[in-house]
Amino acid sequence: MLKVRGVETGYGRLKILRGVDLDVPEGSAVALLGGNGTGKSTLLKAISGLLRVWSGEIEFDGKPIHNRKPNEIVKAGLVQVTQGKDSYPGLTVEENLKLGAHSRNDRDKIKADLEQIYEFFPILRERRKQMAGLLSGGQIQMLVIGRGMMAAPKMIMLDEPSAALAPLVVLDIFRQINKIRAELGTTILVVEQNVRMALLLAEYGYVIHDGRIHIEGKASDMIHDENVRNAYLGGTVVETANA
Amino acid sequence: MLVDFLVVGVSIGLVYAIVALGISLIYSGLDIVHFAHGEFVMFGAFFGLVLVNDSGLNYPISIFLAMIFAGLMGVVVERVFYRRLTSKGGGYTVAGMGMIICGFGMAIILQNIAFLIWGAEGHAINVDFGTPMKIGTVNLPKSYLWILCVSVGLMAILHLFLKNTKAGLAIRAVAANKDIAYLMGINVPLMISLIFGLACGLAAVGGVLIGPINYVQVEMGYLILIKGFAAAVVGGFGSLPGAILGGLMVGIFETLGAGYISGSHKDIYAFLLLIAVLVIMPTGLFGQLAKSKA
Repeated sequence: MLKVRGVETGYGRLKILRGVDLDVPEGSAVALLGGNGTGKSTLLKAISGLLRVWSGEIEFDGKPIHNRKPNEIVKAGLVQVTQGKDSYPGLTVEENLKLGAHSRNDRDKIKADLEQIYEFFPILRERRKQMAGLLSGGQIQMLVIGRGMMAAPKMIMLDEPSAALAPLVVLDIFRQINKIRAELGTTILVVEQNVRMALLLAEYGYVIHDGRIHIEGKASDMIHDENVRNAYLGGTVVETANA
Repeated sequence: MLVDFLVVGVSIGLVYAIVALGISLIYSGLDIVHFAHGEFVMFGAFFGLVLVNDSGLNYPISIFLAMIFAGLMGVVVERVFYRRLTSKGGGYTVAGMGMIICGFGMAIILQNIAFLIWGAEGHAINVDFGTPMKIGTVNLPKSYLWILCVSVGLMAILHLFLKNTKAGLAIRAVAANKDIAYLMGINVPLMISLIFGLACGLAAVGGVLIGPINYVQVEMGYLILIKGFAAAVVGGFGSLPGAILGGLMVGIFETLGAGYISGSHKDIYAFLLLIAVLVIMPTGLFGQLAKSKA
């Protein structure tokens, strides 16, 4: 469903990504792992159109999407779920959710989807009139996931859903992501530092290091792989194309 | 006397508030301070002048058309000239400094265009408002009533638009954070045009409203800009309720000052108020120290 081929990009003259290849087949969940400053978020920005791609190609649903406007990419059905800190703290919970459906015009379906999100996350219904800035960390994460789902996406890209959350809350969030996946069949690319959680959710994993994919393989194999741990912790990485 | 002054003060204050609303809208939406905003008031006033005096249209329709024309003009100016600068980053960056100079330049260009079309002398918009209304002992000219009704109505519509419509919600999202708005599927460049056009349309309404009271003249924009600016700063830059309150305060303060202290120093009082507010509350009445931009 999503194909990334040889993507290079960066900020100003600073090159961050040095040729990234990545595949997310339809219906699957794929994890992109890496420590701070390895290019995870940069890749997400390139895919969602916030950052110009210098060279290489990105294809979604059979059509090239690199260097298209972010709102067109959302319209095509590829939605990035931002980090919790990127909610709109000054808007209410419900306004945040409605913003997620901005690209759609099917009013009745939007209403039904809003109900569905409230079924998934009952706490959001309880607090729907409150400012999003008043939610706890876990609730904000639920809000941004719900907001992403409001676009009725074919595929979502989750940007570190475990960031700055307590372990029990992380467990709960991933359980919800799994539930959404089971019920709606949404394709998922999850970007994480929490290697274990991400690999339990995904079938396939990539480790990005210094702007390149260093390790890729089945999630069930990777979870026991020493190299993955080393790469994540910033230790020496043995160059391997397979695992 | 006092009641008369208050009526005049509130009316003038509402015009300042409309201008300040536009300045604040542009500031929160585009991250720039728009120094050519007064010229849109002036152009709006001239549009009103042409529509009422020359075309013989009635006053409310002229207000509406002047708003549309100035709004479209604003969209063109923003798209063609400002977008090249703002797309490189606005606000407090070096590019933002360029934007300030560009605003001043645009003000001069617009003034000269208006001069070429309409010349230098002042005109009044000739509207027959009928006899002044008598409430108790107060003679209330209907022009002030018009200002009151139109500006309050406009503010109510703006509030409902921002609060209850999809486009209004999108505008608030763009004002708070453009990257996230993009990821919501919002067409951010389009929304920015909409915000700018809206603000310029508001400015034009302000111009048509004071047209029958003050002279419509090529250089009228400068003073109104500064007053609207003072209003926006007094209320807290970027805050819409603050802009309205600030406008009212500036209007009332300056009218009372002109009435009781000295009429020839009318324009000083707005700035005395500005300085006083900034000394006591540096962020203005409704301002936040750091804007909540994620």
